[in-house]
Amino acid sequence: MAVTATTPATRPPTATSRTGAAPVTAALLLLVVALAVVDITQGTAAVGAPEVWKALTGRADPADASVVVASRLPRMAAGLLVGAVLGMAGAALQAVSRNVLASPDTLSVNAGSYFALGLASVTGVSLPLLASSGLAFVGGLAAAAVVLGLSGLGTGTVRLVLAGSALTLGLTAVTEGLLLLFPQQTDGIYHWNQGSIAQNGFDGVLQMLPVAVVGLVGLLLLARRIDALALGDDAARGLGVPVRATRLTAVVLAALLSTAAVTLAGPIGFVGLCAPALVRPLARRFRGFTRTRGSLPLAGLTGAALVLGSDVVLRVLVPSDVAVAVPTGVVTSLVGALFLVVMATRTRDTAAAAETDRLRIRSRGVFLTTTAVLVVVLVGVVIAALLLGDAKLLLGDVLNWAQGRAGRTTAFVLDTRVPRVLAALLAGAALALAGTLVQAVTRNPLAEPGILGVSGGAALGAVLLVTTVPMVGSWGVAGAAFAGAAASSVLVFGLAAKDGFRQNRLVLVGFGVATGASALISLLIILTDPFNAIKALTWLSGSTYGRTLPDVVPLAAVLAVGVVVAAARRTELDLVSLDEDTPRLLGLNLGRGRLGFLALAVLLSATAVAAAGTIGFVGLVAPHAARALVGRQHARVVPVAVLIGAVLVCVADLVGRTVIAPAQLGAGLMTAVIGTPYFLYLLVRSRRG
Amino acid sequence: MRRLLLTTAVATTAALTLTACGTTEPAADDAKKTTERITLIDATGTKVELDGPAKKVVGTEWNVVEHLIELGVDPVGVSDVKGYKTWDTAVPLKNEPKDIGTRGEPSMETVAALKPDLILATSDLPPAAVKQLRKIAPVLEVKAADAADPIGRMTENLDLIAKATGTTDKATELKKQFEAKLDEGRKALADAKLAGAKYAFADGYVVSNQVSIRPYTSGSLIGAVNEKLGLKNAWTVKGDPAYGLGATDVEGLTKIGDVQFAYIGNDGDASSNPFAGVLAKDKVWTSLPFVKKGNVHRLPDGVWMFGGPGSMNKYVDSVVAALTK
Repeated sequence: MAVTATTPATRPPTATSRTGAAPVTAALLLLVVALAVVDITQGTAAVGAPEVWKALTGRADPADASVVVASRLPRMAAGLLVGAVLGMAGAALQAVSRNVLASPDTLSVNAGSYFALGLASVTGVSLPLLASSGLAFVGGLAAAAVVLGLSGLGTGTVRLVLAGSALTLGLTAVTEGLLLLFPQQTDGIYHWNQGSIAQNGFDGVLQMLPVAVVGLVGLLLLARRIDALALGDDAARGLGVPVRATRLTAVVLAALLSTAAVTLAGPIGFVGLCAPALVRPLARRFRGFTRTRGSLPLAGLTGAALVLGSDVVLRVLVPSDVAVAVPTGVVTSLVGALFLVVMATRTRDTAAAAETDRLRIRSRGVFLTTTAVLVVVLVGVVIAALLLGDAKLLLGDVLNWAQGRAGRTTAFVLDTRVPRVLAALLAGAALALAGTLVQAVTRNPLAEPGILGVSGGAALGAVLLVTTVPMVGSWGVAGAAFAGAAASSVLVFGLAAKDGFRQNRLVLVGFGVATGASALISLLIILTDPFNAIKALTWLSGSTYGRTLPDVVPLAAVLAVGVVVAAARRTELDLVSLDEDTPRLLGLNLGRGRLGFLALAVLLSATAVAAAGTIGFVGLVAPHAARALVGRQHARVVPVAVLIGAVLVCVADLVGRTVIAPAQLGAGLMTAVIGTPYFLYLLVRSRRG
Repeated sequence: MRRLLLTTAVATTAALTLTACGTTEPAADDAKKTTERITLIDATGTKVELDGPAKKVVGTEWNVVEHLIELGVDPVGVSDVKGYKTWDTAVPLKNEPKDIGTRGEPSMETVAALKPDLILATSDLPPAAVKQLRKIAPVLEVKAADAADPIGRMTENLDLIAKATGTTDKATELKKQFEAKLDEGRKALADAKLAGAKYAFADGYVVSNQVSIRPYTSGSLIGAVNEKLGLKNAWTVKGDPAYGLGATDVEGLTKIGDVQFAYIGNDGDASSNPFAGVLAKDKVWTSLPFVKKGNVHRLPDGVWMFGGPGSMNKYVDSVVAALTK
């Protein structure tokens, strides 16, 4: 399919063969129209199909007519617009980066825009809609630039998704923190970081429409050049297409489109990822859709169908008054997650074996110094964590407490503080160890319990139990977390093990499961306990608040077992992490060893989640840092990683407890804030490698 | 990286040496006097024993704080003091209590440092947190709200707190005043031919241009007071089992028909007043029968909708004033 630059641009579009394309487009249009019609008849007012019909034919009473005109139609229009622009933005991004996973979510355009809007709302400036969309545009574009810059254009799929999702996590954590630092809402409303398409009147839609049109027209004008990019950069250059400028313009336009969606409805997840993916198989069948000019509008239609479909399904399944409280973004995230998992298992994985970190062999002396230094730092951090908080203590207090001679207040302060410090330390250590094990077994430097959905599954299990049985013990929560983690890991590793843990597939399936789990947790809390923001915070972003010593016992037990096993099986870990063949040559049974390590990692993550909620990043960052410091031998990596993990979460918890005391920020939020920059730095470094 | 680690290590060691091994509190000495003991059973069935009427009391929720102030006991610690001052001016703080953090996650350490004789918590606090608070001082946990009997819940909580603080006489007086206020309000409304009038109370908030409305059903405290005043609750939505709050949006208001509609917002919270802000241009809102007739009443700020007799007295006054204008 050679696209020549000599074809006149004024050629009528009918000239290309479009057999089959027209009926498909018509069918899709029909679906969107059907969904839109159903959407108009749903809502909290007693305005069903007959009233809508009367309103549209001008025979309804004014109240019903106003509902249709000022609430139903705008919502439907917003759904159409948001879905369409996100679908098109996703299609454009995927085309220019030649990457099936590029989308407003994975490039963290949405998160960047939302962060900018959050920043504006916190400062108390009330901006007109257009000004705030300008702000959102800057935020989204900046985030996309960072992600694309880090992962390189047209390179590894996984890198892009990881850089994007990491930045998304970090930005979301910061936005979340801002909202907590400057509470605008005193009635316990939790911000789900999810958008909703409900509207009051047509104002918003009408103001965003021009922005969307500008983006669309711009992309259609660029369509030929975007098509040329599909041939590869060199070929495109040969055709006289300015590759860099085209890419840049397309990304800016896509960011503009996503910004319109975020400003109008908040972040609505996954539409930009799924819509183009749904169009892709069609493009293979019908020639009309192979070109950007055909596929872009089609992706837009598909996006509109997805958003409206999610909205319709939600309102069909739950009573209308409850549906009001559920953000549309939660539903699209669920749909999208499912979709990502299916897509990941069906695509051929082209990734080569994961890049192994090229590291110098470090001497024994380096290992010993590193460990010694880390131990000193850990001791220092623990002491700081014990002394600092709301009530500042001095060392003598701790000594008195240790001997049981402390005064009443000091004793209470330490009685509540010590379990929190312990929970943070042990959770960090356990997550770091779990990350080390998973990375060794999958030989994927970017695999970790959080990204693979294991932590998400654990949190979902725990929330299910806590919601159904109000009074449960620490072991109960740990058990439920383990059940959830086990279920999600069976799903992730089962689907990814089809051909020996192909790298991309594993991470993509995991990412889908993680997203789905967090959407389900949000949904569960919204439906059962809507005013409990604290519950949501704990299970979605980790916190050591209210932990007691018994809560930490399961974690301590599992961690002790884990460390012993990892130490005893260190050589096996080394071999497993090398490659497929070496262990076989040595007569090792790979399957069983791998399974054992994975099971241990799942157990570790589950108990960590039960003790301190979902804390991301640690499992990823600690093993990396450890390998960079002391080389690849697990005999050295394990202790160093465990120490680093403990220090990281302990510091995060300490900061969270003191920075806005007496109010608190969750440890998980702080870990994301601290971990994101480091992770992005790691990505930059491995790119050079 | 390693250099960073080294410097941190050195810095910590230095910091530790500098942190003189002092104490902030002398070691414990056992000196306890016993006076008249008070024994109570709280909402969780826990036996709470006090050496005498509690003087230094900490409240983790605004409703118990309001009860305390009404009973003449100034709390030493209150969660989210700024929020209380914003949302509850009906029963203002008379002292400057210590801020103990958020209502959902009060800081144990701050509470412990206050050395209270009694901590008032509600069932909204996670059980784990209550368990920890019990180690600091006796904790009286009251049921936050109960949609089955909102007013009964409020007065029971008031009584329990009164017993713990030795202010039962004051509680009896407060309850009498409240009953009198209800009768007075009911009479005033009946005189104005408003007995049995259909009435809906709500609050609302705007999050990123989207308006959410919380109906106060008959299971809410405000809803129960409305019925005592002889008003008829117009909401048909279901409320949650504790607070009796529902959820709806603007078009959901079309279901309540021609009513007297009242709401409370707050000038200190920009997102809390959609009815006069965002909705002023919304066609659904402007075509509602009660909006057309001008039967929308913004009641004065500072009545805490989940509070105690103090807030409710002020609420009754403001409803009567608004409806009989």
